[in-house]
Amino acid sequence: MSQFIAATGFGIVNAGIFALAAVGFTLQFSVTNVLNIGFGAIMSLAAFVAYDLNVVVGANIWLALAIAAVASGVLSVLINRGIIQPFLKRGTSFFGMVVITIALDLIVEYAVEAIWGPTFLHYNVAAGTPVTLGSLTFTHFQLVAIGISVVGMIGIHLLLKRTKLGKAMRATSCDARLSKVCGIRTSRIHDAGWFLSGTLAGVAGVILGLTLGTFSFTVGDQYLIVIIAATMLGGIGQAYGAMLGAVVIGLVTQWSSLVISGGYSEVVAFVILIAVLLVRPTGIISGVAADRNMAA
Amino acid sequence: MSADTVAGGMPETSRSHMAVATEEGTSCILETRGVRKSFGGVVAVEDVSITVPAGHIVGLIGPNGAGKSTLLSILAGAQVPDAGSIWFLGEEISRQNPVKRARKGLTRTFQLSGDLPRLTVLENLLLAAPDQSGEHLWAALVGKRLWKRQEEALVIRARALLNRFDMRKHEDAYVNELSGGQRRLVEIMRSLMANPRLLLLDEPFAGVNPSLSRRIESHLIDLRADGLTMVLVEHELGVVERCCDPVVVMAMGHVIAEGTMGDVRTRGEVLDAYLAG
Amino acid sequence: MSNSDIYLLTTLLVYTGVAMIASWGLDLQIGETNVLNFGFILFEAIGAYVTAILSLGPDTANGGVQQYVFGAALPFPVPWLVATAAGAVLGLFMGLLTLRRLRGDYEAVVMLVMALVAFYAVSADTSLLNGSEGLSLIPAPFQGLVGGGPNTSMTYRWVYVAVVAFVCLLAFFVVRRITSAPLGRALRAVRENDAVAMSLGKDAVRLRILVQVVGGALGALAGAMLVQWVGAWAPGSWTYPETFTLFAAIIVGGRANASGVALGAIIVPGIILEGVIFLPSIGPSYLTPALQWVLIGVLIIGFMWFRPQGIIPERRRRFPALALPGGVEQSGAIQLVDVEPRRS
Repeated sequence: MSQFIAATGFGIVNAGIFALAAVGFTLQFSVTNVLNIGFGAIMSLAAFVAYDLNVVVGANIWLALAIAAVASGVLSVLINRGIIQPFLKRGTSFFGMVVITIALDLIVEYAVEAIWGPTFLHYNVAAGTPVTLGSLTFTHFQLVAIGISVVGMIGIHLLLKRTKLGKAMRATSCDARLSKVCGIRTSRIHDAGWFLSGTLAGVAGVILGLTLGTFSFTVGDQYLIVIIAATMLGGIGQAYGAMLGAVVIGLVTQWSSLVISGGYSEVVAFVILIAVLLVRPTGIISGVAADRNMAA
Repeated sequence: MSADTVAGGMPETSRSHMAVATEEGTSCILETRGVRKSFGGVVAVEDVSITVPAGHIVGLIGPNGAGKSTLLSILAGAQVPDAGSIWFLGEEISRQNPVKRARKGLTRTFQLSGDLPRLTVLENLLLAAPDQSGEHLWAALVGKRLWKRQEEALVIRARALLNRFDMRKHEDAYVNELSGGQRRLVEIMRSLMANPRLLLLDEPFAGVNPSLSRRIESHLIDLRADGLTMVLVEHELGVVERCCDPVVVMAMGHVIAEGTMGDVRTRGEVLDAYLAG
Repeated sequence: MSNSDIYLLTTLLVYTGVAMIASWGLDLQIGETNVLNFGFILFEAIGAYVTAILSLGPDTANGGVQQYVFGAALPFPVPWLVATAAGAVLGLFMGLLTLRRLRGDYEAVVMLVMALVAFYAVSADTSLLNGSEGLSLIPAPFQGLVGGGPNTSMTYRWVYVAVVAFVCLLAFFVVRRITSAPLGRALRAVRENDAVAMSLGKDAVRLRILVQVVGGALGALAGAMLVQWVGAWAPGSWTYPETFTLFAAIIVGGRANASGVALGAIIVPGIILEGVIFLPSIGPSYLTPALQWVLIGVLIIGFMWFRPQGIIPERRRRFPALALPGGVEQSGAIQLVDVEPRRS
């Protein structure tokens, strides 16, 4: 039982990190209709930028996180403006765009390796005292990770439901052409989508580095597949579905390690994904994405 | 299939089916009984029962959203009806997929997206021919001698079609290099290569310039004279009046009138449907 | 040429040949049929593992340093043939699982995820295929015939190159025969618009499964040839970015064109990835591989922008003039509409 509770605790922490990243990934997809595989590399890059700020410059880790996250957002907007939009304007197919974002992923990820090397790094932070909640014990950083995730999710919810920008984003994701006709400046909405997505990738990357303890340049891509699994499980393009998918994947991967070797936890997550897709090809929550013809 | 049989006129076929005799004594190629289809609560087609007599062009008209294209998709097998049945050449095909229906001689054109852009015009035509031995893996691997004769016969037949439609000079063009009207012609020629017993045409005049429209129209009339049965979805009523007999009028998913064009145009409900639509 | 030059050159040639065969297999899927197989590397992996366990003998050999299932020591070319068949079976399985049900985007992700599932499962279970350590000491074939092995005889290395070249030639003809037959036309119709292909009686699902099977067989054959050259195979040899080297080869060379894909395989996996063995190393050991991947990414984006059709674009297929005796073609004597004979 205590093992189960411990696994649940780890699962919640992972779910929080996955949720940040999965919501970023899925928002960007729903607003711009580009499946951005480069997301994982942005996570890695943010983790390393925060490392330089924290360890080399000596900044506080939370300041480093904030700067790295904003920098990731800005880089994402630049990628959108410089590469993604020109290709989209040419009418590049959905899969052509996937191939391009994979290429971007390779470029960013291996540029990180070329600059920082293949070694494992860790942030310069004090461990802090573990906190016990009932029979669950969390480290300081795990609690902060959960906190940031909860705040982030509430923020996204308010943004989508309460602000003009959020409404415009939802409208653009339903029908970009119609939104444009209605006077929504879709290019700005796309920029906003990429910025938000990049920022969330940055936050998730740094927090991943913090909770893992040590990380290398592949950290983002290692988790990207799990994040995509969470996203698809929830129905791609669905912010709330992504949150749900993240919780499912986070908990199931940890619980499964109680039954079979921990080496299989990814296998379990992916098998669940494949099974869900075969039974219900639109994910748990279907909607916008199902109605779109993405094979164009 | 050898070149001789093609040149002789009747490509041999393994199909053996009987047209069904209707009460009036004319043979009927296709019949639907009580076909219904809804999309998430919105009924697109409701209780549609029509018959398509052999050797006619049946016009399917109605205002936008009447359910014409949905009905056509159901006939072609791209959509599965919620209820009702479809009979083609005396056999129920309600649950068959488009591939099976196509192989039985039920061929369609598409309203917007029927192009194979990166195949040449001639390849588009060759593709459509049924029962090609060179489409089997083993025949492809063994080599040309297993499919060369059939291919040459098809090329000759396809070029004859291209000549008839005055498109021979475009045979090596990719379809995405052609005009919209030429693409419609390619689609019609391609359908003919499939040896259809029934051809479903989904707005073949949409976006086609007037002179090419008239050409397509006269081709359709010629094809009917050759004995081809067609269903034509169209909202340009002039064309329907000149080509089609009988005409089926749909509105809000229902068939609201049937008969000759002169007959249905005087009916009050038809006028109402068009004015309301 | 010094022995060390021969050593490097033969390695370059074998790797290029292997990548070429795999690229042809993948191009049948993505280039001809638009089956986006992001998990293609799994075919190479199964080919390599099958060849390894069919040539290593029982796992008690070599002092039991590694564990694996079903060890056998079968003579060349049996392991390659079985590996090829295994790739075809895996292709059939992948095709049946994904292509029958899923939309294009999900189908691509599921194929990628299947490759990852296999990767993590093989890595985690040591008893299956020796886990993440991988298999080594895989014997080199036809040593007896040549009278030496890859590390002792330069003749052996050239013979291996010749065998790879021969298999490449064979694979080239297989691919060309498929793509130039009416079958290839049907595949391209599925690529362009599968709803239209189906409306013309072409069974799109069957055709997509078919390219999974044939492409899978070619991928597995490539893996078989690679593993008996290298002598070792581990999960690290088939991480999923490896698939994108093949994607890059196809994009650079020219998709849906066997010669173009061959050229792409020479340029990307050949010259860019393996050719550096001839250059003096610069900086730390990780720098060159990292820059190679960056370069591959840049090449993909560059080609997609400046020359999306690749160096050698897809051929436009023209047909020779044909005529029946008597100028039938012009006379209009051919019946264009095939209706049943009217009853008289």
